[in-house]
Amino acid sequence: MNRFIKIPLVLAIVTFLTSALLMVSEDLTHEKIAEQKKMLLLQSLKQLIPAELHDNDLIADAQTIHHPELLGHRKPQTLYIGKINNKISVLAIPATTPKGYSGDIDIMVGIKTNGEITVVKILEQHETPGLGDLIIANKSDWIQQFSNQSLHLTNLKNWKVERDGGVFDQISGATISPRAVTEAIKQTLLYHNGFMQNIGEET
Amino acid sequence: MSGFIRKRLIDDNAALVQLLGLCPLLAVSNSVVNALGLAIATVFTLTLTNALVALIKPLLSKEIRISLFVLIIASVVTALEMFMNAYFHELYLVLGIFIPLIVTNCIIMARAEAFASKNSLWLSIKDGFFTGLGFALVLITIGAIREILGNGSLFNQAHLLFGDLGHSLHVKLFDNYQGFLIAILPPGAFFVLAVLVAIKNKISKN
Repeated sequence: MNRFIKIPLVLAIVTFLTSALLMVSEDLTHEKIAEQKKMLLLQSLKQLIPAELHDNDLIADAQTIHHPELLGHRKPQTLYIGKINNKISVLAIPATTPKGYSGDIDIMVGIKTNGEITVVKILEQHETPGLGDLIIANKSDWIQQFSNQSLHLTNLKNWKVERDGGVFDQISGATISPRAVTEAIKQTLLYHNGFMQNIGEET
Repeated sequence: MSGFIRKRLIDDNAALVQLLGLCPLLAVSNSVVNALGLAIATVFTLTLTNALVALIKPLLSKEIRISLFVLIIASVVTALEMFMNAYFHELYLVLGIFIPLIVTNCIIMARAEAFASKNSLWLSIKDGFFTGLGFALVLITIGAIREILGNGSLFNQAHLLFGDLGHSLHVKLFDNYQGFLIAILPPGAFFVLAVLVAIKNKISKN
């Protein structure tokens, strides 16, 4: 066969076969992938918005927000809202701080209507292993000190790590990561205040 | 051990002797579980791509063989990525970019070009499997050494790979171990690899 026909023909056949392989794999996996993503999301939301504090569908009621100044968002993020009898009970607020030791730290803070924090979760970070990454819950219990905290218990002025004259523990050897996270949590509390006030005015 | 297998596992080991595929080798070997995940994915890809290349051998011609290899390798890896995403979702998140980057692992291209395009289907499958196994063993060894030195543990987070069974696999080797930080950081990967290459060379010389 003429090679000017054979070469394109072979390429076409192999491209067709490999595309078929990809289509079949995509078809076999896409439902399972969506399900896995949803499960992982619900699992982390379960701690932020405990089951007894909401009776709504968290994913259906989620909102998209974008607050670069207050919450450091680089792109629109999802705000999850827990409701009981259609009244807001808990907000899970996403925030990003650019002040980490190596790049952004993404966090999610669950805050009840009375301003009390349920749990703070670190979603993504690239801090130094063994030092800055002690901010993650499974590496140390540092992040737990924020549970049940609120601006009523600790006012804005004291909402800092001890080294900066505040009340929160720091991590020895790593100042930058705890400081960044502590400040980001404060920002979410301020956002929460504003959010609840808006709702109050609307109703 | 037959000469064929010995050559691929030890004498011509892809990682220790040919020093191929170092990027994933160094990047994800910070714990046994990460290393094992990528090792399995690499063995699987290498075996399958070698088999496919051997199958289309009659179609290969000098001008387009590289394009065909790339096409096959990229599709197999993409399909593998989808299946890992679906069935080992958390591990997939941990390994991240290194799953799609298997495409650029030069061992795979090297075996397709140097072996599978010239040999029978069965030999190519064997070649892919044992070359991959040689790479995998080094990857897992580096992962184990770095995890022991850096964390004082083994099989941390094994549930990502084995489900609930994995929790019982996790061993804490020393109580109150402070961790030798550099072993988990990137330079640690180079140090451990260097020591392994040195040991291999010493043994081969004798």
